[in-house]
Parts: sequence; C-alpha cells; structure tokens
Amino acid sequence: MASVFAGAPPNGAPGYSFAQTPTAAPAGIREHSFYPYTDNGGSTLGISGADFSILAGDTRSTSGYSINTRYAPKLFKIGGEGPESKGARIVLSVVGFAADGEALKERLDTIVKMYKYQHGKPMSVAACAQRLSHILYGKRFFPYYVTAILGGLDEEGKGALYSYDPVGSYEREQCRAAGAAASLIMPFLDNQVNFKNQYIPGSGEGHALQQRVPEPLPRKDVEELVKDAFTSAVERHIEVGDGLQMMIITKDGIEEIYEELKKD
Amino acid sequence: MPGFDFSNHNRNAALHAQGVPLPKATSTGTTIVGCIYDGGVVIAADTRATSGPIVADKNCEKLHYIAPQIWCAGAGTAADTEFTTAIISSNLELHALSTGRKPRVVTCMTMLKQHLFRYQGHIGAYLVVAGVDPTGAHLFTVHAHGSTDKLPYVTMGSGSLAAMSVFETQWKSALSKDDAVKLCADAIQAGIFNDLGSGSNVDVCVITAEKTTLMRNYITPNVRESKARNYRFKRGTTAVLNEKVITREEISKYVTVHELDEQSVAGVGEVMDVDS
Amino acid sequence: MQPTGMLGEDGIHVDMNHLKTGEVNLGTSIMAINFRDGVILGADSRTTTGAYIANRVTDKLTQVHDTIWCCRSGSAADTQAVADIVHYHLGMYGITNDEPPTTQTAAAMFQELCYDNKDQLTAGMIIAGYDGRHGGQVYSIPLGGSLHKQPYAIGGSGSTYIYGYCDANWKDNMTEAEGVNFVKGALQEAIKWDGSSGGVIRMVVLTAKGANRHLYLPDQQYEGPGMN
Repeated sequence: MASVFAGAPPNGAPGYSFAQTPTAAPAGIREHSFYPYTDNGGSTLGISGADFSILAGDTRSTSGYSINTRYAPKLFKIGGEGPESKGARIVLSVVGFAADGEALKERLDTIVKMYKYQHGKPMSVAACAQRLSHILYGKRFFPYYVTAILGGLDEEGKGALYSYDPVGSYEREQCRAAGAAASLIMPFLDNQVNFKNQYIPGSGEGHALQQRVPEPLPRKDVEELVKDAFTSAVERHIEVGDGLQMMIITKDGIEEIYEELKKD
Repeated sequence: MPGFDFSNHNRNAALHAQGVPLPKATSTGTTIVGCIYDGGVVIAADTRATSGPIVADKNCEKLHYIAPQIWCAGAGTAADTEFTTAIISSNLELHALSTGRKPRVVTCMTMLKQHLFRYQGHIGAYLVVAGVDPTGAHLFTVHAHGSTDKLPYVTMGSGSLAAMSVFETQWKSALSKDDAVKLCADAIQAGIFNDLGSGSNVDVCVITAEKTTLMRNYITPNVRESKARNYRFKRGTTAVLNEKVITREEISKYVTVHELDEQSVAGVGEVMDVDS
Repeated sequence: MQPTGMLGEDGIHVDMNHLKTGEVNLGTSIMAINFRDGVILGADSRTTTGAYIANRVTDKLTQVHDTIWCCRSGSAADTQAVADIVHYHLGMYGITNDEPPTTQTAAAMFQELCYDNKDQLTAGMIIAGYDGRHGGQVYSIPLGGSLHKQPYAIGGSGSTYIYGYCDANWKDNMTEAEGVNFVKGALQEAIKWDGSSGGVIRMVVLTAKGANRHLYLPDQQYEGPGMN
C-alpha cells in the first residue's frame, strides 16, 4: 500500500499523524462479527431396502476452493464398542460443518452406549432417531450446522432411514440425498428409487397412464445406484470427489465399502 | 454506437435494490500457466468452467487465438476473456495489415492493458499472453485492472498458487521444449488436483519461430468411468398428453423450406462436444 | 462508492481502502536521492495481490526518457498507465523540440495526471532524472497529486520504517559509492520490517554518462552482483 503520504492509517489501524488522522468514527455502522461455522462441502445419501439400509458419503473435505483432506469420513457407526465400534447396528451420516458433525456424532454415540448400559438392550433405530431430533432441537438457536441421515433396521428387520434438517425436523423415508450435491442427486433418486415420472408403458392413454409402483430394490441395484449417483455428482459438483464410503446395515452387521472417486 | 449497451443499467440497479440478485457469470476457477524456453514459449490451461460450485463445462477451451504466433490463456469471467481476446485479435490483425509487419507480443500486451485499464477492472479478464515475433519469444501476464508483468514463468487463476509451487520448485533456466511442456503440464495438473475451481484436462500450446502447435486435451487424467447401470427407459415410460403431427408438406405453411441434396450440405466446421 | 478524497475539519482524507479487491498492489519500498554526480533511484521488487506475491522480481523503476526515470508505488495498473502516458509525451517532446525534456517537465506531466485524476488513481510516484541544465533532481508526487522537489524522497508502505534511518544517515554531496550504500542500507531496513516489501533491490544511477542499473540479491546478502 502506498499509504505513506496519505497520513490516514492503513485499513483502520491506529494513525500516527494527528493532523490528518480521522478523529471521528467513519460514517455507517461497522460490524465486528465472529462466525463460527464453515461449510466443508461434500454430499451424503441414504436408501433403505426390504432388509437393509445403505448410507453413503464422499470423503472430500473442502473450504473454499481448497481441499482440507481427501479422506474425512462423513459416516459414523453409532453405539458400538471400542475404536472399531463393534456390534453397532446404527449408522449416522452428517454433512455440512464437519466439526459440528463430529460433535453431534460423539453426543449420539455416547447416548446410545449409555442406553445399552442402563437398559441392558440396544436402542431401537426409532428411539435413536427421535433422540437425535431432540439433540438437534436442543440447539435451536445455535444449531449444529449439519444435515443428518440416520440408517439402520427397524424392529421388524426392515431397512429404516431417517433424514433431518439442522434443527431437528425429521421423517422416515425410502431415500434421501443431502449436502452440496443434494439438488443434483435427489431428483435422480426420486426417479430411480421411487419411480417418479415413470409410467407403465401401454397401461393407458394420456392422464390415464398408470404410475410405475415403487417396490423395495434389491441390494445390488441400490449399490449401483449409489455409485452412479456419486460418480455423476463428481462430474458436476466441485466439492464432491476423492472417495466414496458406503455402509450397508443388514441383520448380520455393518458392511463397509470404500471406492475411489475422481480427484479433480 | 460502438461499445457496451448500458440501456438496462437503471432498470437493473432498481431490481438489485429490491433484492434481485445479479446473474451469475461462468467464471473464475481456472489454472493457466506459461513458460519461456530456449527457442519458444509454452502456455497451458485446464478445461473446467464453473458457475459457483457447479461445473458448467467439463471441457472448455481457455487457450485463445490472437495471431498465428500469439496466443492467450484466459482466467476470470469466461465471456470477458473470450470477447477481450477476440477484439484485440481483430485490432491486431488490422494493425498488422496497416503496418505490413508481423504483430508483436508487446503490441498485443499493450492493447490488452489499455483496453482493460479503460474499464477499471469491470472487465474481469486475467490473461497470460505468449508469443514469438521478430524480436523473440515473450511471455506476459495482464490483470483485469490493466497491470502487466514480464516473467520467464507465470501462473494465473484460482489454481495459480498450486501451479506456481511446481514452477518455484522445478523451474530452471535453459529448458528444452519437452521440458517446458512437461513443466507446464505438471503445473496445470497441480491446479487440477488441488484447486476445486480447476479440473478435467490439460490443454497446451507451443509457439516457436517456425510454427504454433495447439495440443488440445494433451493430457486427460479425468476420464469418467462407465456407469454401473443402464438408464435407458422403455418406450412409453413418459406419458404423452397430446400429440400433433406436422407433415413435411404442411411445414412450409410455417417456415420457408429449402430442400438440400446431400452434396450441397456445407461441411460441418466443428462438432459441438456433448456428454454421451 | 464514496468519493476517495474528502475534506474534513482536520484536512484531506484519502481513502486507501478504495482499491478494488483483487487489484494488484505494489506493496513497495521506493526511494530516490541526489548525489554529487546525479541521482540514484532504488526499489524493492515485491508485487502482491492480497497475501499472494504475484511477482517477486518486479521492476518498479520505470524509464520515461533517456535519463528521466520514476519509482512506482500504489496500484500497479494505475502507475503503469500513468508512466506509459508520460513516456509517450516525453518521447514526443524530445522529438518536436529536438532537445531532451528536463526532469521538471517530466515531473510536471506526472503531477498533472496524478492531480487531475486523483479521485480515480492510487499512485504514489517519485520522479528522478538528470538533465544538462539542472543536473540531478528528485521530485515526489504523493497520493493527492502535489509535487515536491526534495534532496531525497522515500515512498511506499516500507518507507514508514526508514524515516529515522534516512534522516540520521543523509549527507549532501555524497559520492556514488556512498549514495548506493545509503539507498541499499535504507531499502534493506524497509524490506526487513515491511511485510509487503521484499525480494531483490533494484537501483538506477543517472549521471551525465547516462543510466546504469544495479541489482542486489537477498541470497548474496544484498552485496551483489551490483552494476550490470
């Protein structure tokens, strides 16, 4: 800066020339603020099947145009034992502000563990889902800056999937995409999982045409849909990439799959 | 009236004041580089165009023609780099015609900086200008506000820091042509993989006293793998709500029809690339 | 945007924050001095865009006539544009009058541009030259566009750190070697303390014999290579 001859202090720093230093505060309100949130990008999605649930998320963490790391998991096993989370049957995915996601995971994990110690039985997914909602709403005026998806098996052994907004509104769904590329992935899922905008050929004329009825998809198909959803999101969203982490919850436990994604 | 049309300015200012956001220009995220070597100059660019966090074009061209032996790599607002290089290319051609000499790189650089300075940074074009003229090989950067730099190796765009880290560790004086091309391609790849605003492929242009070689998609390190599933819908999946058939005979009621035979179809200049 | 120059109760305020974001800035430590046989101009070589060093070997010493040069500080675009215009006019002056322009003439041209367009420019310049009539002369044109003839002038963000050094070490009628040492010593301090100055030290010595460039590199402790 060539402010030497100006006499005015550079960028509001204290001035040393009394003659020319502004004595009054500059016109207009100057706000000093602290913003504790960061958007770390990335995307997650979940699909529930007849006897399984799949949660998936890319592993890239970003800030602005930079990559923080190419491997930062957004999927967490909840309520398991030890560092490997042995015996867990619930998976939480969080996307948005990674630090809040981590804090939320820790809180829920602790609660689910405590439940097991106190009641001598694992927490049901429905109970866990409602508890998570309460945790989120508990910070209604200083929210966890995350979009969460919770997956597991319900008490009948069917795939259960719950999606949340940052302040605790939640519902059980067949499928949900969240995060940076949610707007790219969700329409694809609507079409391919719930068969939206698909009609049964030859079932009628014009408006009388029959909607194709959604049915629970087999696991192989769902895995392929997840992969295609992510490889496509990587093509068109700059914050999605590097790796794809999938967790499949079945009656036998949680299976984890990792695949490489494009790194540009 | 030549130049820009400001007739919508007041309307847009009023709309903006009411909270209507400005239209988003495809822009910014880019890595472009240039490097002089013994006997010529190399410039290179990535091929990603973005609109916010969305990839607008996966394989765009950021290397612009100015003159046969002068080329430009552009970062910043896509439209601005496109039109600025086009208008300077045009004016430089007229200048070459009127002087009867080959255009010089400094002339090009001066025209660019004066054009951009006049618009006080509102034309968001950040350029790497490279070329060979009778006075030798030259390399410049031109910033949107109209400042210029002359250096043996340069980088610009959001990936410029990643790319410069390659130059600052690998560059040496007295490079061969192949060394220079490799160095530039490596610098672009550093941008592609470490800067979210840059991606896809590497374009390279080598200019020597004899000839210019444009190597479009010199490296393609980001080819999309094939999809796991097939997404062809059965015919009849989409509801047809009404149908109207216009026959070939009827169409002349709406438009003027010229029948063309196979041979008279003009050769297709460039095929637009689309996603398969 | 508010007007950049405001007349307040306590004088003119020039708003430096009006530099548009992303504009290339010459962080800068520049100076020019008179010595026995002419003038010496000196500058660091750092150009920045925000925290990024866009050019670490910048030449901020710009020739506008055979033995009239200027040091540029402020906006790179603005100072280059001003220097280019003056360079053109001095060239025309030299040809039409069949006689080289004086340093004062050049300084007046700079002042006219800087003063008339002060609302749109961020250009702090030092003009130094040697002409047959007046010998060596140093002029300073700070931000508002005023013109000051001085025995020596310092400018740019780094100059704040070397007012004391210069005042303590300045002597009239130095030899060339003494002058070079004075400029080098001052700029070394400026580079040391000012974060937005750095790189190499460039110098131009203007005498009756013409212009001579010097270069001093940080990896040689600013000892060499010297004249080139």
